[in-house]
Amino acid sequence: MKTLRTVRITAGLTASLTVLILALWSCSKTASVSDPTDYQTAAKPPSEGRVQYEMEMQTQVTPYGTDRTFPYSEHSNTYPPLSIDGKRGCVLKADHYTLKTDGDGRVPLLGDIPMLGSIYGDRAGTGAAPGQLPADLAYVHADEVWVIARPEVAPSAPDEDRPGCGAMLVRRPDEEKELPLPLKHTEVNGSIAGYIATVHVTQQFHNPYDEKIEAVYVFPLPQNAAVNDFLMTIGDRTIRGIIRERKEAEQIYQQARSQGHVASLLTQERPNIFTQKVANIEPGKQIDVDIQYFNTLAYVDGWYEFVFPMVVGPRFNPPGSIDGVGAVAHGKAGISGQKTEVQYLRPGTRSGHDIALSVQIDAGVEIEQIECTSHAIRKQQADRETMTVSIAPLDNIPNKDFVLRYKVAGDRVKSALMTHRDKNGGYFTLMLYPPESLRQVKRAPMEMIFVLDCSGSMNGAPIAKAKDAIRRALRKLEPGDSFQVIRFSNNASQLGTKPLEVTEDNIRKALAYVDSLEGSGGTMMIEGIKAALDFPHDPRRFRLVSFMTDGFIGNEAQILAAVQEKLGESRIFSFGVGSSVNRFLLDRMAKLGKGAVAYIGLNDDSATAVDRFYERISHPVMTDIDIRFGAMAVADMYPSKVPDLFVGRPIILTGRFQGDAPTQITVTGRVGGQMHDITIPVDPGRPSAMHEGIAAVWARKKIEVLAMQQMYDSDSEIPEIITQTALSYNLMSAYTAFVAVDSSRVTEGDHGVTVAVPVPVPDGVRYDTTVQD
Amino acid sequence: MKAIAATAILALAIALPLFAQQGQRYQTAVPPVRFAPVHIIIDPAGKPLAAYQFELKATAGQVKIVGVEGGQHAAFRSRPPYYDPQALANDRIILAAYSTNKDLPTQAARIATIHLQITGTIQPEFELHLTVASDIDGEPIDAAITLQKGEPK
Repeated sequence: MKTLRTVRITAGLTASLTVLILALWSCSKTASVSDPTDYQTAAKPPSEGRVQYEMEMQTQVTPYGTDRTFPYSEHSNTYPPLSIDGKRGCVLKADHYTLKTDGDGRVPLLGDIPMLGSIYGDRAGTGAAPGQLPADLAYVHADEVWVIARPEVAPSAPDEDRPGCGAMLVRRPDEEKELPLPLKHTEVNGSIAGYIATVHVTQQFHNPYDEKIEAVYVFPLPQNAAVNDFLMTIGDRTIRGIIRERKEAEQIYQQARSQGHVASLLTQERPNIFTQKVANIEPGKQIDVDIQYFNTLAYVDGWYEFVFPMVVGPRFNPPGSIDGVGAVAHGKAGISGQKTEVQYLRPGTRSGHDIALSVQIDAGVEIEQIECTSHAIRKQQADRETMTVSIAPLDNIPNKDFVLRYKVAGDRVKSALMTHRDKNGGYFTLMLYPPESLRQVKRAPMEMIFVLDCSGSMNGAPIAKAKDAIRRALRKLEPGDSFQVIRFSNNASQLGTKPLEVTEDNIRKALAYVDSLEGSGGTMMIEGIKAALDFPHDPRRFRLVSFMTDGFIGNEAQILAAVQEKLGESRIFSFGVGSSVNRFLLDRMAKLGKGAVAYIGLNDDSATAVDRFYERISHPVMTDIDIRFGAMAVADMYPSKVPDLFVGRPIILTGRFQGDAPTQITVTGRVGGQMHDITIPVDPGRPSAMHEGIAAVWARKKIEVLAMQQMYDSDSEIPEIITQTALSYNLMSAYTAFVAVDSSRVTEGDHGVTVAVPVPVPDGVRYDTTVQD
Repeated sequence: MKAIAATAILALAIALPLFAQQGQRYQTAVPPVRFAPVHIIIDPAGKPLAAYQFELKATAGQVKIVGVEGGQHAAFRSRPPYYDPQALANDRIILAAYSTNKDLPTQAARIATIHLQITGTIQPEFELHLTVASDIDGEPIDAAITLQKGEPK
């Protein structure tokens, strides 16, 4: 049995890490769209090698005003968390932090940086003399400094045959030679028209070994991605993959693999988790796989949001389950016992895989503001309505979601209808915005149930963010409201046995309880669901259940079925917390729970997210919605029953139609017992009112609705309907897969060694509490 | 002695056909599944070919389409043709492509390759129908379409 094993990391990330301190940009701040880049602080964009220090691993980070001190290498315990890579550094923000050594007290490391204050640390190597500010930082008025690990030797120019800085190498047991892993690079190119994104993802696989390999890579895509094209490129030849029933595609792939043909297979493990296999990659050869998908953007509280996930978070699977998503250490395939496994890099290692991402926005109206709290970005603006945003080259490690938000001109975005016609008929999407009049009506008293995920994956920065959010939310409760705080990990417990009235004393008790909570143990989310939804309900109050979690579980179906079963009068308004949240789970919980979800990234401000949340729930919903499309005969609309409308949260409906697109749509709904009408003017002739991806979006939505129904409906025909829909529209689903085979050539030898592509744990997540090793 | 000889002859008589059968089975063994391409050639009869659509259907043998590739001519090489998923069956496919290249094929050229999985020993046979071929202005071309069976190299 031939196996590959990890032997060590390159010199770049050995025990004696060299630390590069770069005065950088603040991507977390909203920037003027006229800025050419987001480097707001440096006179010129930073480049590697400008300032270099050596720093021992024992270097500590002490948040200003506290006595808590953490090793900076334990990034999940630093505050704010690392935003670059696990174990590679930390972000120091706005005159709140100092670095100091364990032993002889503080040693001035950088001296005083304007707006950052003094930074001290262990300065074992080269760099500025104590207290003397390096020239490169002298004029930096940063409110953020990124401390980034880098190799002792400055990286040379990129070499096709060598891994990048800190790349993981693997070695065959019988060989001395060490080689990088097969996934070299991911290139993401998106274009946004209106509220629909078209995204091309190119994964570049390379075989650095002297024998053939099969590469296997588990990766995420947005949970509403309609994946409808698949290309495999070998040299200058490109083969378009064919959609097949999953079992059939898997058989074809295995047969092609065993006969020596180059082949690739794309399967869906969850709506947001996919597996890519590429067989018979010959030594020294590269094979590219290009995936195309469409998805609709979320519109949240006045901002459009484009999200591209980069890494699957380590999931917890309840004991006894086998259909989950296992999280295991690199080289430990099979130990989780789960059907799908993600292999994670050990702390201090990198795979050499990097990512480039660029997205073109054609908003159709003026883009007023744009922000990205997850990554450093560069912007190029052609005119007021269009802009190209790309990730800054230094921020190229795929260990967190890319989250880009932009705001367009106008006090209120108008509802918009988009259509597409082909030989199968007409398709539409309607983004329906809540009426302004909702803001004028006051809400009823609330019963607020906070449910905090205290599992190991939340340990450190994520739980700190979640606790901040709960504290803020508790303070915003009003007299007449009631609340409860529930925590869960291996089991669930709570502050009290019944809802507590909002009093100063009760809020103080709740704050103390929240302060005492820490992250450890498993994620038995079902316990949290039961505790929250079975909790005694006061019928005089509007009941909201707010889950605060990263959603790192592998038993999503069980959780969603429980929500469906136990929801009752509750509404679920959740917060996804972390750098790579399981958005599939949180989005579906919100939909089943007739509520909404907001996401708090590790660089996001919890207070802002909570304030927006309260703005949303501080007004009643519009219910009993009916839509009249005029002459347009609508069929197969999803969701079939129009959900309730909340302030700041539009809904997207998609369906098929016959006849002419209307010039006006009328929406009727009930607000606080009163009927309201909204008239939406439509200009079906506008080019921006048409999009070729709408048929795929419709079919993907149909599959999503059927898959949700499948969780509580044992109708045996649902899988067949999903399969036929996916095959007809060339779409990935749980029952279909793309396969591509190069039949024109047989490679020499057997099918070679299978090499799994390990991934980093998401930024801010601790390896030791989440990965089986 | 005679008895021994008779026994030996009898044993040989029984064993030889078995060995022969074994050898024959070994020599004629055909993998139950194999992969091979089919190349599609269009001859636009001197006119520049900018777009086409054709249908390929297997009339004999058991085949599955497992990939679609562009042709040899530069105008149709970089981007593989699109297939109609609603018309896709195991043994049937409708393919279409267009090119905006200035250099378009005017003579017989390979414009696509279809990758197949072939099951069983029956050699597949195909029916090929050119639905449309047109020039850069969308004017129909009286073109001929043929196929060439390939084998993996």
